[in-house]
Amino acid sequence: MSMYIVSSHEIKQLAEALRASYDVYGPQVDPQTQQVFFDQLGDVEALNLEAPIPSMPVKEILFPQMERVLQYKYDAEAQSVEMSKPYAERPKVLFGLRPCDLSGILVLDRFFLGQEFVDDVYLTHRRQCLLISNTCLNPFPQCFCVCTHSGPDADEGFDLDLTKLKDGYLVRVGSEKGQAIADERNWKPAQPHHLSEHKAVVDRCIDLFPEMATDNKAWVSRVMNRITTGFIKSETWEYIGDQCFECGACSFVCPTCSCFNVEDSRMCDGECERLRTHDSCSFEGYARMAGDHNPRQPVEDRRNKRFFCKLSYPQSKKYLRPGCVGCGRCQWVCPGDIGLPNVVQYIRREITE
Amino acid sequence: MSNCHGSHAHGTCKQTGLCPIVTFPEVVNIDEIRDEAPEVKTFYMSFLNKDVEREFRIKSGQFIMCTVFGAGEFAVSLPPSPENDRFHISVRAVGKVTHALHALKPGDKLGVRGPFGNGFPFEEIKGKNIIYVAGGIGLIPLRSSIVHALQHREDFGRIILLYGARSSRDLMYQPDIQLWKQNAGFETFITIDRPEEGWDGEVGYVNQLVDKANVPIDNSVAFVCGPPVMFNSVIGEFLKRGMSEDAIVSTLERQMKCGIGKCQHCAIGRTLVCTDGPVYTYRQIKTLGEQI
Repeated sequence: MSMYIVSSHEIKQLAEALRASYDVYGPQVDPQTQQVFFDQLGDVEALNLEAPIPSMPVKEILFPQMERVLQYKYDAEAQSVEMSKPYAERPKVLFGLRPCDLSGILVLDRFFLGQEFVDDVYLTHRRQCLLISNTCLNPFPQCFCVCTHSGPDADEGFDLDLTKLKDGYLVRVGSEKGQAIADERNWKPAQPHHLSEHKAVVDRCIDLFPEMATDNKAWVSRVMNRITTGFIKSETWEYIGDQCFECGACSFVCPTCSCFNVEDSRMCDGECERLRTHDSCSFEGYARMAGDHNPRQPVEDRRNKRFFCKLSYPQSKKYLRPGCVGCGRCQWVCPGDIGLPNVVQYIRREITE
Repeated sequence: MSNCHGSHAHGTCKQTGLCPIVTFPEVVNIDEIRDEAPEVKTFYMSFLNKDVEREFRIKSGQFIMCTVFGAGEFAVSLPPSPENDRFHISVRAVGKVTHALHALKPGDKLGVRGPFGNGFPFEEIKGKNIIYVAGGIGLIPLRSSIVHALQHREDFGRIILLYGARSSRDLMYQPDIQLWKQNAGFETFITIDRPEEGWDGEVGYVNQLVDKANVPIDNSVAFVCGPPVMFNSVIGEFLKRGMSEDAIVSTLERQMKCGIGKCQHCAIGRTLVCTDGPVYTYRQIKTLGEQI
């Protein structure tokens, strides 16, 4: 793996150069709300590699909240139909991904592309995508990626990886595609002391994680074991389930949640579109069938579904890692108190009692 | 094994060896519509693209995703036999999309993706007796396998159909049943829930037929499909008589949006009905950990 040491100015130049053949997405701070969004860059000056993790996961770009997957027009008179695929798009660069979001994308890759069937829509977005990750130098308040082995630095899946050091950015190359890009630039090779500095900043970051995260580190795998084998008291699940408002926010902000709904709708001009939208397994209508038969009606049946998906072995076998990447966004948005780290704590409390 | 339909599919389904239409629906023409029972119609159809039609192969017990243009897509099991049968689906009007389907006329077009799912385990049951148990429109997913079994009559022992419906009007595929009866060794027992004028057959529920038919338990498999109440009572009868949980096979239904294991709407416990099912043994169903 080649490594380079690159100035911030050269990073901006890289972003600018990539715009010729890619749509470049990166973290930007909204000047009015101070919120961080991972959005398409109108101007590379807006790229902010020091911003905290974005409010929404980067999966939004590869698996949008709402997406047209089919367009058609049915002529009832002539009994004929015209169909088209609306989702072919330009290649994208995800510039400055946080390692948790990168892990989330790898989970989605294995799920959408690595199972029995390949998801054509996701593949179209992902096929020509370039991933540039960005090491976290400080944990953000809700982070616990050290528990789920997905940070603070990336160790797989990136094309290029950036780490801010004293002399500039350390660029690690992770793929042939990344190497090809590096070869076109006139970058200085990194020295051995840069590598040890990289290790030092990552270690420093790990030390800065709040106690809850470091305490939970060994517990995630124990809790997974418990959830998989089913040795968790129903009272614990009820305690957790009772705090669920069924708002679905956790699913929407989760970098690995991939459930979707599909709906056909007719527009004013008679043209129809098939939309696929994010969905959440906590919603009451999630499993409801035509004729109103709902096999998953009881609330306890569905409120805790998500935790089985994130923290059980059968699901991890599909993802090749735990379904949780430790970004902590669910903890942020949950109006109850059942963000994933808390759920781990509740189950941990039961185990230790 | 067939080739892929252009860009519509990626590779071959590992489970069935077939190559389904995965993403982009193929257009079919509705050739003929028949009233099957109250609120149930059978739609005979053919692909506009004849190459696709030639390549389109199914296994008994699989399903397709059917698009009613302007209304949406629904999952429906396939009643035709894999060999020498007209391509058709039988659908009861229950929801938004199926009502829109019932409003269509011959010549209208539909979209089809599939076939998806594992199908019935025909290879494993050669030489055994097959007992089909169906309630109401539960005969639809079993039809394919009945026709297939009769086309390979010599591969199986006794073939018995136990079938029940609310009334004689609700009995599905009546001309087909008459035809099947002409096969040597096809035993049929049909019942309706309440007595009716002009009905001289059995009256009562399907589980009562298990006794009447004196079904063989050893070296037999039971294919059961019907409403949950019927399903549970029939399975109770078989288990009471000592049938193995692996020999009781059923096909489940769930809300499905993609058919290819991505949308996760059809999850029951840790299994996905669209790719792991829809055909399960009772032993598997018991361990799914959720209501079926």
